[in-house]
Amino acid sequence: MKKLISVASLTAAMSALSISASQASADELVLYCSVDENWCRVMSEAFQRETGINVLMTRRSSGETYAQIRAESGQPRGDVWWGGTGDPHLQAAQEGLTARYESPRLGELQDWAVRQAEASDYRTVGIYAGGLGYGYNTRLVRGDAPACWSDLLDERFRDDVQVANPNSSGTAYTMLATLVQLFGEDKAFDFMRELNANISQYTQSGSAPIRAAATGETAVGIVFMHDAVAQAVQGAPIATVAPCEGTGYEIGSMSLIDGGPNPDNAKIWYDWALSAEAQALAVQANSFQVPSNSGAPTPPEAPRLEDVKLIDYDFERYGSSEVRTRLLQRWDREIGSL
Amino acid sequence: MSEFAIEFNEVVKDYGQHRAVDTINLAIRKGELVTFLGPSGCGKTTSLRLIAGLELPTSGQVLIQGKDVSQRPASERNVGMVFQSYALFPHMTVLDNVAYGPVIRGVKKAEAENQARTLLNQVGLTNLESRFPSELSGGQQQRVAVARAIVQQPDVMLFDEPLSNVDAKLRRRVRAEIRELQQRFGLTAVYVTHDQEEALAVSDRIIVMSAGKIEQIGTPEDLYDRPKNAFVADFIGDANLLTGVIQKGVFQVGSLRIPVDHQERPSVTISVRPERIRLSDINTETEANGIVLEATYLGSRMEYLIDMGHGMLLCSRPIEERRRKVREEVAIEVQPEDVSLID
Amino acid sequence: MKVIASLPRFLAGPSRASVSWLFLWCMASWLMPWYKVTPGITEAWFSSALGHSLAGRLWLLPLALAPCLLLLAQWRQWSWSARTSTGVFFAVAAWLIVQASLIGLHGTSPSMGAVFPLSTEGQTGLGWGGFISIIAMLGWLSEALADRGFCKGDRFASATIVFIVALLGLFVFFPIVKLSLMAFRSPDGLWSIAPFIERLTAQDLWRINCITAAPGRCGVVINSVTLGVLAATLSTLIGLGLALLVARTGFRFKRTLRAIAILPIITPPFVVGVALIVLFGRTGLVTTSIADWFGIVPTRWLYGMPGILMAQVLAFTPVTFLVLLGALEAINPSLEEASNTLGARPLTTFRKVTFPLLRPGLAAAFLLAFIESLSDFGNPLVLGGGFEVLSTKIFFAVVGARYDLGNAAALSLVLLVLTLTAFWLQARWVGRRSYITVTGRSDSGLAPALPKSIAWLTYGSVSLFILFTLGVYVIVMIGGFVNDIGRWDMTPTVRHLGTAFSVEWQQGSLQFYGSAWNSLKTTLLVSAIAAPLTTAIGILTAWLVARQNFMGKRQFEFGTMLSFAILGTVVGVYYVAAFNVPPVDITGTMAILIICFMFRNMPVGMRAGVAALAQIDRSMEEASQTLGATGARTFRQIVLPLVKPALFTAMVYSFVTAMTAVSAVIFLVSARHNMATAYIMGRVENGEYALAITYSTVLMIVMIICITAMSLIIGKRQLGRRKTEQPPVASHAAALP
Repeated sequence: MKKLISVASLTAAMSALSISASQASADELVLYCSVDENWCRVMSEAFQRETGINVLMTRRSSGETYAQIRAESGQPRGDVWWGGTGDPHLQAAQEGLTARYESPRLGELQDWAVRQAEASDYRTVGIYAGGLGYGYNTRLVRGDAPACWSDLLDERFRDDVQVANPNSSGTAYTMLATLVQLFGEDKAFDFMRELNANISQYTQSGSAPIRAAATGETAVGIVFMHDAVAQAVQGAPIATVAPCEGTGYEIGSMSLIDGGPNPDNAKIWYDWALSAEAQALAVQANSFQVPSNSGAPTPPEAPRLEDVKLIDYDFERYGSSEVRTRLLQRWDREIGSL
Repeated sequence: MSEFAIEFNEVVKDYGQHRAVDTINLAIRKGELVTFLGPSGCGKTTSLRLIAGLELPTSGQVLIQGKDVSQRPASERNVGMVFQSYALFPHMTVLDNVAYGPVIRGVKKAEAENQARTLLNQVGLTNLESRFPSELSGGQQQRVAVARAIVQQPDVMLFDEPLSNVDAKLRRRVRAEIRELQQRFGLTAVYVTHDQEEALAVSDRIIVMSAGKIEQIGTPEDLYDRPKNAFVADFIGDANLLTGVIQKGVFQVGSLRIPVDHQERPSVTISVRPERIRLSDINTETEANGIVLEATYLGSRMEYLIDMGHGMLLCSRPIEERRRKVREEVAIEVQPEDVSLID
Repeated sequence: MKVIASLPRFLAGPSRASVSWLFLWCMASWLMPWYKVTPGITEAWFSSALGHSLAGRLWLLPLALAPCLLLLAQWRQWSWSARTSTGVFFAVAAWLIVQASLIGLHGTSPSMGAVFPLSTEGQTGLGWGGFISIIAMLGWLSEALADRGFCKGDRFASATIVFIVALLGLFVFFPIVKLSLMAFRSPDGLWSIAPFIERLTAQDLWRINCITAAPGRCGVVINSVTLGVLAATLSTLIGLGLALLVARTGFRFKRTLRAIAILPIITPPFVVGVALIVLFGRTGLVTTSIADWFGIVPTRWLYGMPGILMAQVLAFTPVTFLVLLGALEAINPSLEEASNTLGARPLTTFRKVTFPLLRPGLAAAFLLAFIESLSDFGNPLVLGGGFEVLSTKIFFAVVGARYDLGNAAALSLVLLVLTLTAFWLQARWVGRRSYITVTGRSDSGLAPALPKSIAWLTYGSVSLFILFTLGVYVIVMIGGFVNDIGRWDMTPTVRHLGTAFSVEWQQGSLQFYGSAWNSLKTTLLVSAIAAPLTTAIGILTAWLVARQNFMGKRQFEFGTMLSFAILGTVVGVYYVAAFNVPPVDITGTMAILIICFMFRNMPVGMRAGVAALAQIDRSMEEASQTLGATGARTFRQIVLPLVKPALFTAMVYSFVTAMTAVSAVIFLVSARHNMATAYIMGRVENGEYALAITYSTVLMIVMIICITAMSLIIGKRQLGRRKTEQPPVASHAAALP
C-alpha cells in the first residue's frame, strides 16, 4: 500500500498543480507583450487600474511570441498580443492565428496604422512606428558626423559597424527589405557586400548593436532609431541618425489571438491600447516610438517621422514568406557566407 | 505437509543464451544439511538463489515445505540466508541488523529487539549489540549474519560460501559452530561451497554439480568412496583415474594389475584414492613396479608421484611409514574394495 | 450473505495490491471528475467518467465499466484465464488512447459524430479522475506483470519500471517523436524525406571554410564540435590541475578553493558573459589598461569563439574539478607506492599508473563539459557575435525572421546525435576494464607528492584560473551596486536592487513591489518541487538499471538517454505544442515546468546513482529481501541510506539547474509562472546589465542558502557512524561488468 500511496501522491501532486493553475477566471486578461518589459509593465498596471481587469502579462520578443502562439494554436492561452514588429503579426494574421476585429477607434489612428489593419483584413493594427536608422558612439566617431547609409561605407568605420543577422532578427530584416526597396535588389546587395567589409559582426539579437555602441564596443550600430534614443536618454554617448537617402520603418502592431480565453476583455484592452492616453504612457517607460493615435503626443526625444525621409515600405510584399525566404536565402548566399 | 523442506522439479534457469541450471531434480529432507559442491560457474550458487527466491526459474518448480513458490519473490518465502560477504547493513547497529527481520514481519520493535538480544546471547555476542558492523571482527560479523538469518525461524537456512572470508585458521571452528547451530535449532540447511574438504566436514548429504547439472548426490562417504564418475572422483579428494581392461577379475593396464570384484569389460576407467595405494619394496614377486619421480613432504603425510612406465600414479602415505627417496623403485598394491568403477 | 462474507477475505487476500489498484480505478472513474474543466454538467458525481457516459458521452463507458468488470471477475473468481483479463485491460487501455486522439478539444470528424453524437462537442484535458484512473491502470498492470514473474516477482521494481516507462514515454518519447517528424516536413507543409536530407546536408552546417583557406566561415556543427572539444579539453585539464592541487599537494587553501569552485556552478546564465565583456571587451578594464601600457589598439577579440570558450571554461571547470577530485581520492595510494618502490620515477608513476587509473574520471569530466558546451545557450548569445553554434542556431530557427520549425527539429536531431555519439565514444574509451581500487578502504600508504614538472604546470594553470574567476566575480559583485558597470559609471547605488526587490511595509503587512519578486518566488517553488522529484526518478532509474534485469532493459536505458535531447528551445516549443491539448493539458501551468526539469535533469541523478550503486554490494539488498522486506521497503531502508551522497549530489544539481536553466524555459513560462532566467534574459536583451547582475547575485545567495540547508537536512541523517566502508564493497563491485 505504501508504494501505492507514494506513487499516487507524486502523480496526484502533479495533476493537482495542473488543475488548480489553469482555471480561467472572469476578470482576467492574458497579455503577450513584445516591447520592452518596462513599457509592458506600465501598460498592464495602468489598464488594471482603469478597468479592474487583472492582467497576466508575459514578455517575450516578437519572434518568440509568434512561435508560442503557433505552438498553442490547439488551445490558445493568450488573449492579446501587444507590441513587437509588424511582420510576425502579419504572418500570424495570414495563418488565421489572430482574430478579426475592427476597433471603433480606427478613425483616430494615423494612416500607416490603418493601412496595417486593412492589409491584414483587420486582424492586426498599428500601435506605434519606429524608423530604421543607426546610432553611433560620439566618443569613438570623430570628424564629420555620418548622416547617410553611404557614409557607413567609409574607410574609418572599417570593422566598426554592427548589425544583426537578418535570419535571426526582424530589425535586420527590415534593413534588408528597406535597402532593397530603396536601391533595387541587385544594388542593395552590392551595397551590403561593400558594407560587409565594415561590419565587425552580425549579432543574433536585433538591439545588440546599439548596446555595443553605447558601451563603446563598436562605433556604429544599425537599429531602430527609438532604440538608439533610449540609450542616449539613459546617458550613453549615442547620436541617432536618420539616413539621408531615406529609410524604412516598422509598425509595431497589436493582434487579438483567435480563440483566447477572455475574448471580451481582450477587446476592452484593444480599444484602450489604441487610445491617446494609453499611448502617451510609453514615455514613462523610456520608449520613444511614434504613437499611432493622432491625438497622442509624440515624445520630444522621439525621432519625428515627419523629419525623416520615409520610403513607402511595402509591408505586404516584404512580409510575405516567399519574398522573405528568397531575400534571406540570397543574403545567406552572397553576404552571410562571406 | 510434505516430508521435504525443499524440492526441485525439472528446474531450469537460463541467463540469455547461457543455461546456468540445467533440468535439476532434487529433494531435501527437513533437518538435513545439504551442500551444493562444485567448481565456480557450476550453478551451485544459482541453485541456492533459486531456493531463496533471488532468482526465479525459467521453467520447472521450486517447492518449499511442499508449496510451489516458483514465482514468489524472496520476501514472500521464509528463508534465512547467510551471504558470502555477510551483507550486514552498515548503517545499522548489530541489534538493529538482527531485529530487522522480525520488525519487517510485523513484530513490535521492543519484542523484536528482545528476540534479537536472546539470539545474540546464544551466538556469544552479548555485549556487542550497539556496535556497528564495521567495528566487529570478521568472525563476529559472521555470527551476526547467522543470528540475523536464524532469528525469524526460517523454513530453510541458506549458506553461500560462508567461510570464504574467514581466516584459514578460524575456518575449522566456524564450520563446527555452524554445524552445531544447525543441529541445535534443528534447521534445514543448504550450504554452498567449492571446498570439498569443507563439504565433507559439514554435510549430511552433498550434491556435486558441474556445468549446471547434478553429477552425484550422496553422503560424504558415498561420494568419497564410490564416486559415480570421473568428475566426482577427481573433484572430491584426489583420484588416480586409470583406463584399461578387466579380464578374469583383474583390472589391467600396462604392467599394473589390480584384482577387482567386477565383471569383464573391454575398456573401463577406475578410480583409486592416493592413500589407498600401498607401497612396498620390490622383489621378484611384485609385478607392478614403478619409480618414485617426486617425493613431497606435507608434514602429516608424504606424497609420491610414481612413474609406472605407462603413466603416473599419485600416492599418499602416512609420515610414519618408511620414506621413499626419489628414483627409488617401489612396488604398488591396491585392494579390490578400494577400486571404484567409473561410468 | 455468503458472498458478502467473502469480501474481507478477498480484500486482504494474496492479490490485495492488485485489488486495491482496481478499486482505486473504480473510484476514480466513478466518483472523481474525469475532465479538467467540466463541459456543461457541474455536479461532482456526474462529472466522473461514469457520469459523463450516462449523460451521453458513451465513449467513456468502457473506461468506467472495465475496472468493475475486472474487480468482479477477480472477486468471484470467474473462470477466466488471467490472459482474458489482461486482454480486457489492454483493449481498454488502447481505447483510452484512441478516444483521446480522435476526440479533441474541438470535437471530431462527422463520422465519429455519427457513432457518438456528443463527441462533436469535443472534450477537454484530463482532470483528477482521468489521471488517477491512468495511475491505477498502470498500477494494476505492474501487479499483473509481477505476478507473472517480471522482475523476479518484485512488485516495487515492476511498478517502478511501469511508471517510469509510462512517464518517459509521455514526457520524453512522445514530444521527441513529434519533434523529429517535423524535420521531414517541407516549408509548404508536405511530408517527405527530401527536406530532411536537405536540412541535414545544408552548407551552413558542415562547411569547413575556416580550416581550409577558402573564404567564409565554418558551419555550425563544425563550430559547435570544435568549441565543445576545446572547452571540454581545457576545463578537464584545469579541473585536473585543481584536483591534483587539492588531493596531492600541501596546498593550504583547499577549503577556499572548493568554495570558489562552487560559484560558477550556481551562476545564472549570461552573467559571466556580461562580466567578461566588462573586463575584456574593447572598452573593458583589462583591454584598455593593456592598450594603455603597451600601446596596442584594443580589438573585439572577445566576441566569437574566444569569449565563449573563456566563459565556458570558467563555468565547466568546477564540475570537472569535482568529478576528478572524486576519482583521485578513490585511487588506492598503495598502487602508486608500489610503482615508486619498483623504481619508477615520479613522472613515470604519474604517467603509467595515476593517469590510466584516472581514465574513467577524465572521460566522465570531459563528457560532462562537452555536453554542457553543446547545450550552452546563454554564453553564445551574449558573447557569440557572428559565431554561430547549434544551440543559438536552433533558437533563432524558431524565433527568428524565418520561422522554420522543421529546420530547428533537424538541427536538434543533430545535437542529439552528437550527444549520444559523445556518450558512445566515452564508453568505448573507458572500455570494460576494471578500475576498482577501493577494496574495503585499506588506507595504507600516503599518496605520493606530485612530480615537479606536473606540479609547476598545476600551479600555473590553477592560479590563472583563480585569478580569472575572482576577477569575474568581483565584477559581478560590484556590478549590481553601481550605476552602470557597462559604461564604467561607478557611482554606488542600490537603485537596481530596489527595482527588482523593493518591499514596502503597508497596513501591517509586507508588500513585495519589485519587478523580480514574482519570478523569484516561482523559480524557488518550481526548483524546490522539481529537485526532489528529479532526484527520485533519477535514483529509481539508476536502481532499475543497476539492479534489475528485465526484458527491454537496453531499450529502457537508451530511452533515458533521450532525455538529453530535452536541452534546447525546440523541445520547449514542442512541450508547449504536445501538452497544450487534451488529454494531457498542462501548458501554462507550473507542472509543465517541473516536468521539463525532471526529465531534463534526470540523467545526471541517474548517473550519480548508478555510480553509487556500483560500489554497494547488492547482497545487502538481497539479505533484506530474504528477511521478508519487499522491494519498496528494501529500497527505503537499505538502498537510500547507502546512496545518500549520490542523493545529495543529484538533489543539488537538479535544484541548481532548475534555478539557472534557460533555453527550454523561454516557451514554458507564463504570466503566472515566470522564471528568473527568463527575466534575466529579458534584461540582458534590453541592455540592462546592472539589473541582470543584481538579480543574479540575489539568486546566487538564495542558492547558497538552499544548498546549505539541503546539506544540513540530508547530511544529518547520514550520521549512522559509517566510519569505514562496508566490508563487502569489493566482492560485488568487481563482479560488475
